[in-house]
Amino acid sequence: MSGIPIGESPLSGNSLPGGNPGPEPAPRVMSLGGMAWRRFLRNPFAVAGLVVLLFFVIVALFARFIAPFDPARIDLLTSNLPFGSGAHILGTDELGRDIFSRLLYSSQVSLLVGFSVAFVSVFIGTLIGAVSGYFGGFVDTFFMRMVDVLNSVPLLFLNILMLAIFGSSFVLLICILALTSWMGVARLVRGTFLQLRETEYVEAAKALGTSDWRIITYHMIRNATAPIIVNATLMIGGAILSEAALSFLGLGIQPPQTSWGQMLSNAQAYMLTDPLQAVYPGLCILVVVLAVNFIGDGIQSAIDPRRKVRRPRRRWGH
Amino acid sequence: MREYFLRRLLQSVLVLFLVSLVTFALIHSAPGGPVRIYLTPGLSQEAAKVQAHNLGLDQPIPIQYVRWLGDLLQGNFGYTFKNHIPVGKILWPTVGNTLILMGVAWFLSLVIAIPWGIYNSTREYGLSDQSAAVISYLGFAMPTFWFGILLQELFSLKLNWLPLSDMYTMGQARNILNLLPHLVLPVTVLTLGFLAAYVKYSRSSMLEVLFQDYIRTARAKGMPERRVVFRHALRNALIPIITVLGLDLPILVGGAALTESVFNWPGMGRLFVEMAMAREYSVLMAITLLTAVIVILGNLLADILYAVVDPRVQLAGRGGRAA
Repeated sequence: MSGIPIGESPLSGNSLPGGNPGPEPAPRVMSLGGMAWRRFLRNPFAVAGLVVLLFFVIVALFARFIAPFDPARIDLLTSNLPFGSGAHILGTDELGRDIFSRLLYSSQVSLLVGFSVAFVSVFIGTLIGAVSGYFGGFVDTFFMRMVDVLNSVPLLFLNILMLAIFGSSFVLLICILALTSWMGVARLVRGTFLQLRETEYVEAAKALGTSDWRIITYHMIRNATAPIIVNATLMIGGAILSEAALSFLGLGIQPPQTSWGQMLSNAQAYMLTDPLQAVYPGLCILVVVLAVNFIGDGIQSAIDPRRKVRRPRRRWGH
Repeated sequence: MREYFLRRLLQSVLVLFLVSLVTFALIHSAPGGPVRIYLTPGLSQEAAKVQAHNLGLDQPIPIQYVRWLGDLLQGNFGYTFKNHIPVGKILWPTVGNTLILMGVAWFLSLVIAIPWGIYNSTREYGLSDQSAAVISYLGFAMPTFWFGILLQELFSLKLNWLPLSDMYTMGQARNILNLLPHLVLPVTVLTLGFLAAYVKYSRSSMLEVLFQDYIRTARAKGMPERRVVFRHALRNALIPIITVLGLDLPILVGGAALTESVFNWPGMGRLFVEMAMAREYSVLMAITLLTAVIVILGNLLADILYAVVDPRVQLAGRGGRAA
């Protein structure tokens, strides 16, 4: 972690330059996390992403109170209303369901899928990567061939195949997406662990008789947290996109539950009469995923400032 | 070189074997199992039993696996449940259609992305570099099918410039003049997706090289900048791109499922989606295996190419595990 100034210990520095009389305030100590957080806050894109994501989280949490209509309420008398039709702000779809309310409720599905898939797959990936990297040998070969197998089939195909075989429910969708997206994290954690395995502090822990499990979960994982967090953040966006894609194809979220992807496949059928209907859900997906990706990039450069500093900027060319 | 080649070949065969094993396991966990895939529908229970016996479906599972694998190797993918059509008959025509679409999009994105990335690497944070970054962000965050729908609404429905969907206009000769306008929109959608990744990648790959010592030496010798970039830097920068192209093969082969569905393109991806809705497991298995074969072969090729271009790779592999 060279290059990161560690805050002075309160015990070592007892006099500040130009010391004021009276009780001196203790020199400010900052944790690594605190410094990363400050760097994160200085990145306007990351902060904007965070604000947008928080906005969507709040919308999803309070959808029930914000939504003017029941998103599943069918009313054929008020079907296919255009943008700005009285109480139906964004109009209604072919079954008379309020589009605005459906958008609000869909945010619940997208965020829930995004966060749970990221959480579960990061958990699986970390576990497998850690075990492979730490033990090596047969375990490693076994899991890495598993990664190869999963990487040799288009993941969208694999997801569709599994949904076709096992049927689609909300929980199953999350499981299937998580089971097919842990490979990146596993590779990453494995790589880190292969390096860490040779370090002195791990040797020392082993010599002291620390159990393998404790070395992995207590001593080594900490050194891999930064890239894992970045990966997890970016995975939220990927999962939201996958859910949207599968629902768009009719294999993901099923009615009466609603999701942005499902709304898009609905809207495609009414492109001619109401082209705006296709705009809103896609825009929501785009904005949420952009926000999540900005946050991920922000975290990346906050915890690894060496990358941000880069080479000196120089102009050259002809 | 030969040792490296053999090791990679064996690894590929192993992975392919594992894929077939997983696929077979999935068939057997599907409701109805292989019986539903291979038996003629509508048979009485006794007749079904006889046919199952004749097809060997009452034998132990390991034996069934070996027989199934043998069938596959002879090109027998089984039959569809509905109408009992041989899978190959439905599958093969779509493969060509997908190749046309993906090939054009992929080629176009490479031709645009690599020079653009090189240019951006020489002018970091310039206007062109910033716009490439915006495109990358959009390309990674935008649902491709949504982009496709927007293009359809604008260029087909509103402006009426391009056909809405399908590969050929019905009732007209199926020639290239008919094909081209149908290609424009789906190719645009796919190209944007590839472009987002490739511009970013070729830029960072160039930057990686441009700050190395031998480039400084070349400049110090007074070599013209143009020559430094194209002669010295580019050659080494292109090497890692080979790997990325290999890794992208699954997307290239199967990622068009969404775009093909939006534009009703009669390709493998759309077939896969349709057959998934119809629960035609035999077709799904065939496509899964076919794509796996293409992907594994492609990765093998990319790795070998990489080793030929960059001899350091073989050496790294020889000294035990390469992290």
